[in-house]
Amino acid sequence: MSYKSHRDFFEVLDKEGELARVKKEVNWDVEVGAIGRKVYESSGPCLLFEKIKDYPAGFRISNGTTGTWPRVALAMNLPKNTSVRDIYATYEKRLEKKIPPVTVGNAKAPCKENIMLDDKVDLYRFPAPMIHEGDGGRYIGTWDAVICKDLETGWQNWGMYRFMVHTKNWLTGWPQSTSQFAFIFNRSYRPLNKPMPVAVVLGADPMSHIIATAPIKPFEDEAACVGSFRGKPVDLVKCETSDLYVPAHAEIVIEGEVMPDRIAPDGPFGEYPGYRSGTMSNGIAVKVNAVTYRNDPILTMIALGTPPDDSSIAASLSAAVAMKKGLLRHGVPVTDVYVPPEGVTHLIIVGVKKGGAEIAKKVLDYFTLRRIMTNKHIVVDEDVDVFNMGEVLHAFATRCHPGRGIFYEHYEGRSNSLTPFYSPEERSKLKGVSVVFDSTWPPEWPPEIVPVKASYKTIYSAETQAYVEKNWKSYGITKK
Amino acid sequence: MKEWQTFVRKFSDMKEGKRELFIKDLAEGPRKYDTTHVIAKVSRKKTAVKNPDKLWLRSESGIRYPEPWYISIEKELPEYVEGKPWTSVFDALDVAERQHSKSK
Repeated sequence: MSYKSHRDFFEVLDKEGELARVKKEVNWDVEVGAIGRKVYESSGPCLLFEKIKDYPAGFRISNGTTGTWPRVALAMNLPKNTSVRDIYATYEKRLEKKIPPVTVGNAKAPCKENIMLDDKVDLYRFPAPMIHEGDGGRYIGTWDAVICKDLETGWQNWGMYRFMVHTKNWLTGWPQSTSQFAFIFNRSYRPLNKPMPVAVVLGADPMSHIIATAPIKPFEDEAACVGSFRGKPVDLVKCETSDLYVPAHAEIVIEGEVMPDRIAPDGPFGEYPGYRSGTMSNGIAVKVNAVTYRNDPILTMIALGTPPDDSSIAASLSAAVAMKKGLLRHGVPVTDVYVPPEGVTHLIIVGVKKGGAEIAKKVLDYFTLRRIMTNKHIVVDEDVDVFNMGEVLHAFATRCHPGRGIFYEHYEGRSNSLTPFYSPEERSKLKGVSVVFDSTWPPEWPPEIVPVKASYKTIYSAETQAYVEKNWKSYGITKK
Repeated sequence: MKEWQTFVRKFSDMKEGKRELFIKDLAEGPRKYDTTHVIAKVSRKKTAVKNPDKLWLRSESGIRYPEPWYISIEKELPEYVEGKPWTSVFDALDVAERQHSKSK
């Protein structure tokens, strides 16, 4: 089965015991965020808040659609107990294939069931949540897909960026200045001093949102990637006020224009690294020209914060697969890359066939070439399971030489200003530093001097292990 | 007395007197946190402004200053301030403030 919509997927979550429907009235002002956060922190279910204070019956809020690995597996039509390694492998394989989207008319697009245009636009008719106490405002765009178009090539990019309700018909937001969104604005619209059409899509099918988080290369079509996961083309429909195309089965679509010469405050916001740090009032302002939405719309929220949540899980998957491909292209003999959700894309584990200082430096070089979202990288030998953080930590502790196994790269203008440990000055200049921890054995060491890992699987011969296995029951040890 | 909220990078950035600010309405209801762009007189002292409303300050990390300031709105402005995307709204407000004081 492929999921056309957020609602289709909820039926599956319901059957799998992964959805909790909250029928009690809850307040959009902090209460839904607090509940969502508490549930994330206990690896609880996806939430559907069905009765929201101040809002008519039918207007709902969801949280945590794909906030755990089992729910990501379900979104990919895999059994919910699929291992993280197999989820990564399936994702990597499906991303190779592309199924281009098809366009449909308004009559076949549920997102056009209701249309607010021009002076009828009123964002306060939707229960945009105040997610954390002390945020800069009501974040309507957290688990979204934000679409904009490159004028020269016609490429329509999908990304995931935060958007806050500023007034009834203005949004403010903060796609980072190093994002593909900013790349398109700076290339196509800034030189002409023209507003850039944008669509903020809420509640599309689950893979559309996961793909929106993915570092897909510029000029590649994210909608075609989603089609590959669904095994069918995605239905797209034209916006009412621009020539952007959006998922026809989305819950809510906000159409607007990024102003080239007007700004307004955004943030602060409790962000994906797990902190509310000083990133605010440095973004963009969007004049909203239309909102289209389904009957009884579901506003998608993620109560972002400390991991895991939808963001850290999706980034773990989509970033790792992109990094693996990039490292291979860069000449690094990669076996696997793991982005542990707890490391919120700040910490990356790279497994290699052959390690050493030169390879570690090559890894660091790859991660600091362009826009930099990561800062700590642990390179391990292929005998270490990168998905097993216990093994990774052991390798880091025992194989990384503090004097000759740690390499740094400083840079300016390219760092991730959401990194909590950067000072205000570093953030404003996008200054940063990245490090690689070479946790591999030096390749120049003769094999006979490389320390032998003293684990059952590595320090005993196959014969000894076979003998022990054969006699296991006779030892009277009940736990294997 | 109506209550508003505004954000500053550091609490010490907030100065008394006539200021250009974005303020958020804290009245309960579906329009809570709506933003208004204003020229207003602000002070730590309730008695220093006419018909004062409360103004709560929050820092760039969202920390709330424990005591309210007081505000009297003199003029409402458009929803935005002139400036280029990915530049500082605070810098733009400073520029606008200087222009207002010159044009007086």
